[in-house]
Amino acid sequence: MVCCIFKSMDWKSKQNSDGGWAYAHGDSWTEPTVFVLLAQSVTGIDKPSFEAGLRFLSAAQRRDGGWSPQPGVAESTWVTALAPFLPEQAVDPEALHRAVSWLKGQTGRESGLIYRLRQRLAGSPDRYPDGWPWFPGTAAWVIPTSFGILAFQRVLAIHGDDRPLRERIADGRRFLLARQCADGGWNHGSNRALGRDGDSYPETTGIALAALRHTPESAQLDRAKSAARRHLTTCRTAEGMAWLRIGLAAHGESVHAPFQPAPRTTLDEALATLASAPSNPLLS
Amino acid sequence: MEMTRRDVLVAGAAAATGVPLARYARARSLPTVSKAPVSNVLIARAPAYTMDVYDTVYRMVAAHNLNVRGKKIVLKPNLVEFDAHTVINTHPVIVHAAWEAFRKLGAAQVRIAEGPGHRRATLDLAEAAGYFETVPKFENAFTDLNLDKVAHLRIPRPVSTLKSLYLPHTVLDCDLLVSLPKLKTHHWAGATLSMKNLFGLVPGGVYGWPKNVLHWAGIAESIVDLHHLFPRQFAIVDGIVGMEGNGPIQGTPKHAGVLIAGSDVAAVDATCCRIMGIDPEKIDYLTLARGAENLSPSAFRQIGETVESVQTTFELIDPWKSMIRAS
Repeated sequence: MVCCIFKSMDWKSKQNSDGGWAYAHGDSWTEPTVFVLLAQSVTGIDKPSFEAGLRFLSAAQRRDGGWSPQPGVAESTWVTALAPFLPEQAVDPEALHRAVSWLKGQTGRESGLIYRLRQRLAGSPDRYPDGWPWFPGTAAWVIPTSFGILAFQRVLAIHGDDRPLRERIADGRRFLLARQCADGGWNHGSNRALGRDGDSYPETTGIALAALRHTPESAQLDRAKSAARRHLTTCRTAEGMAWLRIGLAAHGESVHAPFQPAPRTTLDEALATLASAPSNPLLS
Repeated sequence: MEMTRRDVLVAGAAAATGVPLARYARARSLPTVSKAPVSNVLIARAPAYTMDVYDTVYRMVAAHNLNVRGKKIVLKPNLVEFDAHTVINTHPVIVHAAWEAFRKLGAAQVRIAEGPGHRRATLDLAEAAGYFETVPKFENAFTDLNLDKVAHLRIPRPVSTLKSLYLPHTVLDCDLLVSLPKLKTHHWAGATLSMKNLFGLVPGGVYGWPKNVLHWAGIAESIVDLHHLFPRQFAIVDGIVGMEGNGPIQGTPKHAGVLIAGSDVAAVDATCCRIMGIDPEKIDYLTLARGAENLSPSAFRQIGETVESVQTTFELIDPWKSMIRAS
């Protein structure tokens, strides 16, 4: 089924000479490159193209163990959480170990000692659960936290149990549940501001649901799935539609898109491919 | 912005021949900006998003005698959310009118560029906001600043705690950056106008969605740092229908029927505040950028309509009511 729509996808024609892919056009970025390789892995690999992509990513790992969003940026960021989904040719066990160490060291700035101390002095003793930031030194948000959880779940699936990773996954899930919007879904992570509820988005609702796979049934999770089903009927973006399908699939609901919004970017095409795949590497 | 004799002649000739004006019978005349070394802020009435807006915007730009012939212009609207029924985003007619105005004035290239702060599907957002429908071949004229090629820039004398920023090539390479914000209240900054609109220059592909690095560095201070990094700016504020209350997203529409333009964007924003019934001296980023003493009405030249004639009080949410309301 994947496949009727996307099997003929010509990833190679969009590949840059450095082996990577752009979001739409221009320079190669880490995120679309990873997702195109994952999409190829479910629809059939074009070996020279796939290997060039792996070489691009392998060469892009930074000395601190992380990945930057694109080669022109000298800072490791959230995209490091995509590394565990890559085959060993691109990320060998040693490289993966360094990536995981980098990810373990990342929390939202609001989890830091100084911020917590300030909050306590201001009369707010609550400790925020540890999520992940997009960029080091900033707050945790829904998308990078969801990818952090998915990454550590993947590492546990490959390498077996690891208590600190399990604890970070549990904390990340608490973070997501604490940021759930009143309508049951998620937005970027600001569910309430100045006493007012924020509305959820399709894409973030789908990503968060994927990260909450294997969590026990609860009223909160039911509301999240209901929100995702509601978004499915109104979502107008290929990105949102793909993540809603992936998120619901993570909870055993195989849904077909009521309509298929036209993909705008290479990343959209890769996500749509993964959403239609019978087995999704993000959830394996 | 330097103005040459040739530019004056070109702009004057365009107006005199009526080439850009002929389509619009009900065109109003707008004053020409003086050459005095004070900033000029032009206020024009624009009751609705009709074809008349094209002429008004052209005249507002032409009146400033900007030297845009052969130059690369970037138009930076404010795209925030998917909701065609609200007034969150800069209206597409304003963007298209500005695009046509700069083309007519001889710009070599006019690009529309934006990097929304919350949503990643920028082109879908632009389509939902009506940009594809209004701007011919919009996709070819548009750059998603969140995903553009970036360069690393040191901030010379930062006001915020930022030392440097990655910024998109498209805006770093342009000759004139034109901020096209919506006239809106803002629950954190008081008001979001030309200067706050610069947050959309910061690439989400590097810093994420939202651009939280700016929040930690100080919202007002980061606005000022971004403002200083782009010395060649112009602003046209979409105040035909603005947003009051819990802006910039959850507020309610407010008809103000004005467009406000100028090269001194802090002065433009101060004028917008006065139109909204907000004291600009109580908006942190304006006082940081210009100094409270330089925000008074006497500090720059107000042309076109007077503030008093178009002033319409915007509702503010509770924390701001007592803090920034003009007395």
